[in-house]
Amino acid sequence: MSEKEPLFSAKNLKLFTDPFNAGNPITVLVLGICSALAVTVKLQPAIVMGLSVTVVTGFSSFIISLLRNTIPNRIRIIVQLVVVAALVILVDQLLKAYVYEVSKQLSVFVGLIITNCIIMGRIEAFALGNKPFPSLIDGFGNGAGYGMILVIVAFFRELLGSGSLFGIRIVPESFYVSAGGFYENNGMMVLPPAALILLGVIIWVHRSVNNKLLEK
Amino acid sequence: MENFINIFVQSVFINNMIFAYFLGMCSFLAVSRKVSTAMGLGIAVIFVLMITVPVNYLINKYLLQEGALSWFGDEYRDIDLGFLSFIVFIAVIAWIVQVLEMIVEKFTPALYNQLGIFLPLIAVNCAVMGASLFMQEREYSSVAEASSFGLGSGTGWMLAIVGIAAIREKMSYSKVPPALKGLGITFIVTGLMAIAFMSFSGIEIKID
Amino acid sequence: MNRDSNIYTLVYSAIMVIVVAALLAVASGALKAPQERNREIEKKMNILTSVGKAAGASIADDKNAYIENEYSKYIVESFLININGEKTEGDAFNTDLKAELKKPETERLLPVFVCSDNGSKQYIFPVRGAGLWGAIWGYISLKDDFNTVYGAVFDHAGETPGLGAEIADVSFQKKFADKKIYLDGKFMSVDVVKNGSVQLDDYKVDGITGGTLTSKAVGKMLFDCLSNYTKFFDVQKQNR
Repeated sequence: MSEKEPLFSAKNLKLFTDPFNAGNPITVLVLGICSALAVTVKLQPAIVMGLSVTVVTGFSSFIISLLRNTIPNRIRIIVQLVVVAALVILVDQLLKAYVYEVSKQLSVFVGLIITNCIIMGRIEAFALGNKPFPSLIDGFGNGAGYGMILVIVAFFRELLGSGSLFGIRIVPESFYVSAGGFYENNGMMVLPPAALILLGVIIWVHRSVNNKLLEK
Repeated sequence: MENFINIFVQSVFINNMIFAYFLGMCSFLAVSRKVSTAMGLGIAVIFVLMITVPVNYLINKYLLQEGALSWFGDEYRDIDLGFLSFIVFIAVIAWIVQVLEMIVEKFTPALYNQLGIFLPLIAVNCAVMGASLFMQEREYSSVAEASSFGLGSGTGWMLAIVGIAAIREKMSYSKVPPALKGLGITFIVTGLMAIAFMSFSGIEIKID
Repeated sequence: MNRDSNIYTLVYSAIMVIVVAALLAVASGALKAPQERNREIEKKMNILTSVGKAAGASIADDKNAYIENEYSKYIVESFLININGEKTEGDAFNTDLKAELKKPETERLLPVFVCSDNGSKQYIFPVRGAGLWGAIWGYISLKDDFNTVYGAVFDHAGETPGLGAEIADVSFQKKFADKKIYLDGKFMSVDVVKNGSVQLDDYKVDGITGGTLTSKAVGKMLFDCLSNYTKFFDVQKQNR
């Protein structure tokens, strides 16, 4: 790290914050939706998934950036895949060892982080041409921007679909029809289509606020 | 036979890769502007899934699973290489896609012209990796079952992408709110399609 | 150095494979112990849940210690039985039900866990079968008349979220309590039927809307697995 600029220069900071708004990987760049939405029924797995993706994106960008001048051209993609897959296996093993319950809920979707387009996308677009530290920041930022969308979707799905947040009941028991009240959970929200529609709405809101992002 | 047909039908309609698991969304969104290209990619995905799922099934059964190496000798019975499965699966997929591309290019240039551009895209298509992981998790009992799952998932994926491409072609003439144009409306329409597909849930085919 | 030469590419990939393989082998070896411990705790938790114990697990400070404590407090006995209902030697807790069910009936050794709380005894039987997509499994407990169901717990590998996956939900599992498995001395098991299609009685449980195939699979699993224990039930009833 011999560059003169400080570690958290404005430029590096922008690398981190950009993905939360104008450069959001899901709503703007349309990357990595695979593997994302199936884990958004509840908040907790969504957060763990977001963190896992952030870690993998950050470190794979960092490692590839370190190796960028040594990688043989012909097997570039394979090398990237191997690095990403190795990191994902590590994450998977750690989850199984320390947050077993959540790892069960995530099931195959941890493995699918490998084929998450964000990771390969950031490696190809950024890490191959930049120094390790900015690559790390860029990876973390994109992972976090991605995680943010997961959390927003999961927030609404858990609140409306199960009446709880983080498994803690928010809508009082007595409101429910079964207990003589007037309220019923929206069963639609726990089903897969709700995630797609919610995401559509999030994009709608995001683009209405940020006019620069409109598609012609 | 009944079993194979059921696995096929269920993976096409009920546990559709796109509508139930959101797998392969990247290419689903990027290559669904025209029906003809969507069709090409769909066929390529079916092709790749039909080969990779059974191959990975065999690798998992005879190399990776706990106790899979026992055909090697009894002292290898306890070895569990399951932790390597992600890396092995993705490597096998990348390798098969590469080989397939070379074979298609060599022997059927006409097909290559149609599918060629899509093949490299498929190596990182989540639906392909996802099918292998689901195959592993669901513990299918034979190669034939795994193949029929692969074929079904691929067909379901193609059905979804061709469907959305057709709708998007029509939709380019409709007045969509500017902020919803493109990505937003595509997601919402996909959600509505997913709801429609849910009406298939519970179907089971019986052959007497 | 020429990054396009064959030798460089080969050496590079060889080194990469060795480094990655070594790293992963070390990591998986080091994490094996906590992972297996998690599985053990989960199994104990499921056994306890099937008899309505361990309800405070989610709020316990140290969940593992809590489960261990409850398990040693309530699960007083565990043993294996053969197809004739005779007790045999063996480690019931670590018996792999999946492997046992693959054996011919006469060679199977199946686990039984006994829970005792203030003098009332429940018998817990593991069950396992094929769901719509992957394996489904669970535990069902009977009161000591070997007829009335006390409780049940189910889990699954990959049933459809929101539909078949609901078998893992408490509201579904609660429906099994107080059902009967014998009618006039004939083994009936508890069947899971399509929501609203037939009159429910002591031998039927209402299935999950939209999860019919998984619901049916639960019924089949219960019948198949409990059938293995019928001789054991007979012997125990005579001894009472």
